[in-house]
Amino acid sequence: MVSTPMVAMQGVQKHFGSLHVLQDIDLEVAQGEVVVVIGPSGSGKSTLCRTINRLETIDEGTISLDGQPLPAEGKPLAQLRADVGMVFQSFNLFAHKTILENVTLGPIKVRGEKKADAEARAMELLKRVGVDSQAQKLPAQLSGGQQQRVAIARALAMQPKVMLFDEPTSALDPEMISEVLDTMTSLARDGMTMIVVTHEMGFARTAADRVVFMADGRIVEQNTPQEFFDHPQSERARDFLGKILKH
Amino acid sequence: MDVLVDNADLILDGFWKTLQLVLVSGAYALVIGVLVAVARVSPVGVLRGAATVYVTLFRNTPLLILIIIAYYGMPDIGINPGFFPLITIAMGIYTSTFIAEALRSGINGVPVGQAEAARAVGMPFGMTMTQVVLPQAGRLIVPPVASVLIALVKNTSLAGAFGIAEATFRMRGLLNDHATDRWWIFFGIGLGYVVIVEVISLIAYLIERRWKVVTR
Amino acid sequence: MKISTRFAALGAAALLTLAACGDAGSENEAADNDYEVVDSPKFDDGTRMAEIAEAGKVKIGVKFDQPGIGFKAAGSDEPTGFDPEMGKIIAGQLGIEPKDIEWVETISDNREPFLQNGTVDFVIASYSITDERRQVVGQAGPYYLTGQQLLVAADSDITGPEDLKGQKVCSVTGSTPIKTIEEKYDVTPAGFDTYSECVEQLKNGSVDAVTTDGSILLGYAAQDPDALKVVGEPFSEERYGIGYSKDSPELCTFLNDTLTKAFEDGAWEDAFDATLGKSGNEVPEAPKLDACA
Repeated sequence: MVSTPMVAMQGVQKHFGSLHVLQDIDLEVAQGEVVVVIGPSGSGKSTLCRTINRLETIDEGTISLDGQPLPAEGKPLAQLRADVGMVFQSFNLFAHKTILENVTLGPIKVRGEKKADAEARAMELLKRVGVDSQAQKLPAQLSGGQQQRVAIARALAMQPKVMLFDEPTSALDPEMISEVLDTMTSLARDGMTMIVVTHEMGFARTAADRVVFMADGRIVEQNTPQEFFDHPQSERARDFLGKILKH
Repeated sequence: MDVLVDNADLILDGFWKTLQLVLVSGAYALVIGVLVAVARVSPVGVLRGAATVYVTLFRNTPLLILIIIAYYGMPDIGINPGFFPLITIAMGIYTSTFIAEALRSGINGVPVGQAEAARAVGMPFGMTMTQVVLPQAGRLIVPPVASVLIALVKNTSLAGAFGIAEATFRMRGLLNDHATDRWWIFFGIGLGYVVIVEVISLIAYLIERRWKVVTR
Repeated sequence: MKISTRFAALGAAALLTLAACGDAGSENEAADNDYEVVDSPKFDDGTRMAEIAEAGKVKIGVKFDQPGIGFKAAGSDEPTGFDPEMGKIIAGQLGIEPKDIEWVETISDNREPFLQNGTVDFVIASYSITDERRQVVGQAGPYYLTGQQLLVAADSDITGPEDLKGQKVCSVTGSTPIKTIEEKYDVTPAGFDTYSECVEQLKNGSVDAVTTDGSILLGYAAQDPDALKVVGEPFSEERYGIGYSKDSPELCTFLNDTLTKAFEDGAWEDAFDATLGKSGNEVPEAPKLDACA
């Protein structure tokens, strides 16, 4: 790959107090690539995801998006965030807005789009994630799976260059996980650049271009899903896979 | 009873002044209070610090002292806009600190994920506040803000001793002239305050009910 | 309500200390009149007089903020003025030395409550006699007649109440003068807790005039003749009385007898000369006392 990577992290360090949560992180994600980050809890994978749009600050190192280094707090950062879609573990839909408004708020307020245009596209996106019939409801009236699909639509409405998924299925009841994963898989097929922090190994196997395995704040191993799952190189990865695949 | 009927014009005039004090001081308090509360949660350290100092200073100073400073201090340095502006500024500043604290607790009551989601779609701080956080804090702050305004209603009675002919001033005048009808006077003036406070409570209830949607 | 009044009075006291330090001129120095102190006075058993005389001390409510009438300078031990002098005369007739008098500060608002709940035995605090008041407390006297006048800035154009329409006029919240003038002359009333606060507001231009009894105003004008003046003829008649509890109606005769005696033996005139007389008031005719019911 010769083109500029969509996301580039170099020498990133971060501490929470005395805890060194990100250590020497170097990671590049190419345009259109789907990277799944896995690892035991507390390994720093969520933190890594959140540093990419600067919801968490870093102590050292650089992070670039599409060749642009992350700006500090302020207007430029807000603009850059608009280009990075994010889906949270707990959905975080705007509780006081309808489903439709959740999807149109960003385009109208941040992008300055006309309301009619934003609504038309929002309805398309809601249809694509399968919740268009719920457009006038409030988030609390929807199931978790539906809410998370709306959250994906909300992020897509900003026409992002990259999508971050921070454990998008961890707060869902088991029967709702697949509907969200299906949406994500189809998104991956459409060529979206995605960084996904998850425990869903099935998704990693089928949808990922690359699996990044983290432990204790470090990237321990990265490889294609096939290679990683079948021939893990490190002791930590073998241990981790052994534990989750036993069941 | 006659004392209330005979002096109805004075009493009503007094409560009209009381109401004006509440409305003007309350407006100052709400505007300043929102700005201070937002400053207290802003990402800019200087603003946070200034707002914290403001709240600490004016919330912890007795209202009477603020009024005295306004009445005797400001004319000393050549600022003397008159009793009504002076006392409403003093009451507005004092009350704004309580509004700010009520708002801040409301803002803190909105799950942090809401602000994160707003930032993640590219909203700057101000827009995050106005579009996402404050509208949700709103319903949390209605009861405490109503309490602050009710306290303000009662605090306006201090103005009667500072050149404003409001309801308590009228009460004291009537007590002086009608020593035999004390209980009727207390009852009438007390009732007036109760009515104002009940109206505020009612408005708060209606707003709360209107905003009460299932949020999570 | 009561609490706010007390706080306001405290605030006013603090201000006085700050602002009026040293203002208390010579007319506020303690008068050194010696009034007769009756040795073992005789009263009928069971009367309030007998009780007070027996106790050997008396509580008298006076104003602390009216120069010439009842004023207590910051740091001084006892109030000075015509009213405290009257108090000493009355105490003397009960066989009580001035040093055994407990002076209690009263403001216009709390004069009746103080009498009704026994906080004080007598109120001598520029306390105008009115029919309304006489329904709840006893008022003996009058011992002094005065009338409502106006205190204005020395350079003011106001010459009398006719010039006051629409002007801000200050008096003590809850006092009679402010109501009289509001009704008669269509002024904007401005109430403060003490007359000294009113005078302060007059000096800084926040109000156009201060109104109350001329005797009180003269006291203030005498303190600061370059800045303040009293204008206009008295436009009301105020008759100062001595307040006592209605529970002890026998006090009325005692008080009237005491006043009559003071009028006749010169004690009343001495009291006047030492206080109000110093701030420009002529010694008036002794007023005619109301008969006791």
